[in-house]
Amino acid sequence: MPARSAVELRGACGLIGTLTKYLAVAPLFPAALALGYGEPPWPFLLAAVIVAIVGLALERLGRDARPIGFREGFLVVAMTWLAAATLGALPYLLSGDPQLDRPVDAYFEAMSGFTTTGASILTDIPAIDESMLMWRQFTQWLGGMGIIVLALAVLPRLRVGGRQLLESEMPGPEVDDLADRIRSTARRLWLLYVALTATLAAILTIFGLTGIDSRMTPFNAVAHAFSTMPTGGFSPEARSMEPFAAATQWVVILFMVLAGLSFTLLYRAFVRRRPRRLFRDEEARFYMVILIAVSALLTVELWREGILQGESAIRGSVFQVVSMTTTTGFANVDFVGWPALALMILVALMFVGGSAGSTGGSVKVVRHLVLAKVIRREMRQTVHPEAVMPIRLNGAVVDERTIRAVTTFVLLYIGIFAVGAALLALDAAFQGPRISTLDAIALSATTLGNIGPGLGVAGPMGSFSEFSDISTVLMTFLMWMGRLEVIPVLVLLTRGYWRA
Amino acid sequence: MYPAPAVKIFIIGAGQVGSTIVEALHREHNLTVIDLDAARLTPLAYRYDVATIEANGASRRALADAGVRDADLVIACTSRDEANLVAATFARIEAPRATTVIRTSNVEYIELWREGRLDVDFVVSSEIETAHAITRVIGVPAALQTDVFADGQVQMVEFEVTELSNPAVLGKSLRECDRIPRDSRVVSKIRGDAMTIPNGDTTIAAGDRLVVVGSPAAAQAWGELLAPGDGVVDDVVIFGGGQVGVAIARQLLEQHIRVRLIEPGRERARQIAEELPDARVYQATGLDPDFIERERIGQAQAAVFAMREDAKNHYAATLARVHGVAFTIAIIHDPIAREVYEHSGIDVTVNPRQVTAEEIVRFAHDPRTQQVAMIENDRFEVLDITTSPTSEYVGLSFRDMPIRGAVIGAIVRDGKAVFPHSDDVLQAGDRVIVFTESSRVADVERVL
Repeated sequence: MPARSAVELRGACGLIGTLTKYLAVAPLFPAALALGYGEPPWPFLLAAVIVAIVGLALERLGRDARPIGFREGFLVVAMTWLAAATLGALPYLLSGDPQLDRPVDAYFEAMSGFTTTGASILTDIPAIDESMLMWRQFTQWLGGMGIIVLALAVLPRLRVGGRQLLESEMPGPEVDDLADRIRSTARRLWLLYVALTATLAAILTIFGLTGIDSRMTPFNAVAHAFSTMPTGGFSPEARSMEPFAAATQWVVILFMVLAGLSFTLLYRAFVRRRPRRLFRDEEARFYMVILIAVSALLTVELWREGILQGESAIRGSVFQVVSMTTTTGFANVDFVGWPALALMILVALMFVGGSAGSTGGSVKVVRHLVLAKVIRREMRQTVHPEAVMPIRLNGAVVDERTIRAVTTFVLLYIGIFAVGAALLALDAAFQGPRISTLDAIALSATTLGNIGPGLGVAGPMGSFSEFSDISTVLMTFLMWMGRLEVIPVLVLLTRGYWRA
Repeated sequence: MYPAPAVKIFIIGAGQVGSTIVEALHREHNLTVIDLDAARLTPLAYRYDVATIEANGASRRALADAGVRDADLVIACTSRDEANLVAATFARIEAPRATTVIRTSNVEYIELWREGRLDVDFVVSSEIETAHAITRVIGVPAALQTDVFADGQVQMVEFEVTELSNPAVLGKSLRECDRIPRDSRVVSKIRGDAMTIPNGDTTIAAGDRLVVVGSPAAAQAWGELLAPGDGVVDDVVIFGGGQVGVAIARQLLEQHIRVRLIEPGRERARQIAEELPDARVYQATGLDPDFIERERIGQAQAAVFAMREDAKNHYAATLARVHGVAFTIAIIHDPIAREVYEHSGIDVTVNPRQVTAEEIVRFAHDPRTQQVAMIENDRFEVLDITTSPTSEYVGLSFRDMPIRGAVIGAIVRDGKAVFPHSDDVLQAGDRVIVFTESSRVADVERVL
């Protein structure tokens, strides 16, 4: 008999199976759409069947397993996300479309969707079926608030407590409860998410119907709502948000800003009617200050360089700044040719990220805030070694363990980003395409931060298709790591995790 | 005829607070003291005419056996909060009409009492009273002792006259001084053991201690006259982060005074830093000269020593003085420490038990008496009392008022403080702030 692992593998498989089984319902939505558009629905149906069978099999495997706990949570979350990406990739592969028929590319596209990155290997978007494009948007929407949070919200009792799963998946250092039961918290977050998405879709549809934006068909309205609220970035349009009217772009800016705010904060502000909370929250304030200050800086730079003028300079700057900061990845202009300073600003913003508890990725504003306070404290303690200075956030003391977790996270994040950038540059040097140093940096930052567009060939109107398979796999891995905030994935790679 | 003669008072706990209360009240009232420790009761029984009972005050049967149902006032002042609470609860059952007072240091109990959910009449906290006493002293740094009346409109301050005092008052009689602040009155001059009620011919000399009643501004002006250069304190260092230290810090911060607090315990220091975001907290013993030097403790205008051991407070205070702290205030735990402190030049000492006792003694007075301050170890008291319409003093001008060992320093009329001059007339219903010897308190309450 083999030595037993300290991790209850069969139990974990069972839970992964259960979650996967329910995920198999997701492709039914594009399948119905395909029937409506007269497109073949069978890639979706087949994918659903395959995933359901695998899910059921895994669930059976864990039927008599001993109960699982804290430790298995990391494995369940990490593996469920891999499984979700597989589900996302199957319809692409089964459709046999020449742009998506290679497994590596299909898996990249699916991972990019579920992690709300929005980086695409597609080169000719109009050639893809409408239903397939909508599936691509839909994966982002499912991944935005988190598939585990969704499972906690709608599934009948999972066999585990849930908090640990939620903490591994929710962006940010701590989960802020809205209710005393984790299940009700998850449900409220999802309801708010659905409501905001529906509102945006409705506004955009009205723009289309009233002729404010003739290009905004109901299909486009839903597709972009599915992409904006999860800070995804996929667009069924070849040139992202560029073809749409200025009014549409401003509305999308507003909703991107909302999506980059903590959903618990939004819930308290809108549902519990305490809008002042938004202005009192330190993280939200810092987030708004960043958006406004950097937008102003970029406007000046673009105007001065003569790239954009007047309202379009302001709109272009605000749009790109909000898109990069919230990690959405939409673009309303192709910024690939912008001057170095403007590009540096955009790359720097890739490390900001949304608020904790938002659908945004990357480092998150609150971690920058905590880190800034830690640095300030260190400076003061250099002069006053005996001073005791707790770090506060919104008046509440942040405990030292959380502070340690934050500094560790930021260091890890930067380390992984640097390694990723180096490997991508190395691979590109051997197998092409030709990329600059800043391009390699942007590629690593954009995938790890779940943003979407890079620079150079992988710009907002470009494609990731030119990269070698090695780079594609590496970037897929970075997206997965980034979405789960690095630590739950890295924990799985430690020996201590698997031993007693 | 008011006030009622002696009231029957039950005192549960014969520690320092209990003893101080007995000392202040034994002359006028019938006291019964209950304590578990016979060794504490014996000296009281020998020194004063009080009944002592060796029993558990937190036992209903013991209280009943001791005759608590005849009590008018029950004071539970052991050092244990819960015992006091239980004793007061039982007393309420046995003697529903008695006023109950408990001593507690638990902030939760105080809050509960303020919300009216605790079935006792009054709650007194050593920590908060001590902090009050200290913040008042810091407000007038030249003072030996201060107390406030009428919501802060009237201050009673005891000053020491030294050679450094302004020559405009030094060696002059009160009549000659033209620099005396208007809204104030010197109600007493104490020299050694002798006290005189001053008149225009009384001279001020170095070594005298003056008790002044006046407006807060006048009290400050007196401070400037008698101890020039002490100025206003806005930077205080507190040594020791116990409950008293934290209570002091909290009150000083409320007055927008900068506070640095030094606490040796790691966990406790962290806890205080979390509780008081505006205070700067250091985890250090305060006995380390390097630390004192590095943090420029010497630049603070005042330092409060609130550590648990008198010896440590003494050492730290001396060290702080060596490093240049001009104004030092120390908490004393053992009454004997007062002399040691004063010998080594500590400016003010505060005994939390005495302060607590003072606060509790208020409840034994005539119900018209709102507040009491004790001066010179309980030799003198300042009362805040409302005049009755039948008082023989009502209708008299201050010029014609006979002096019988008591002086009215201020009156509060319609909620506003008035500092009377010789032509002013006392009216019925005026609240008067009156200085007198402790032994005459009952007389004063009777005639007013």
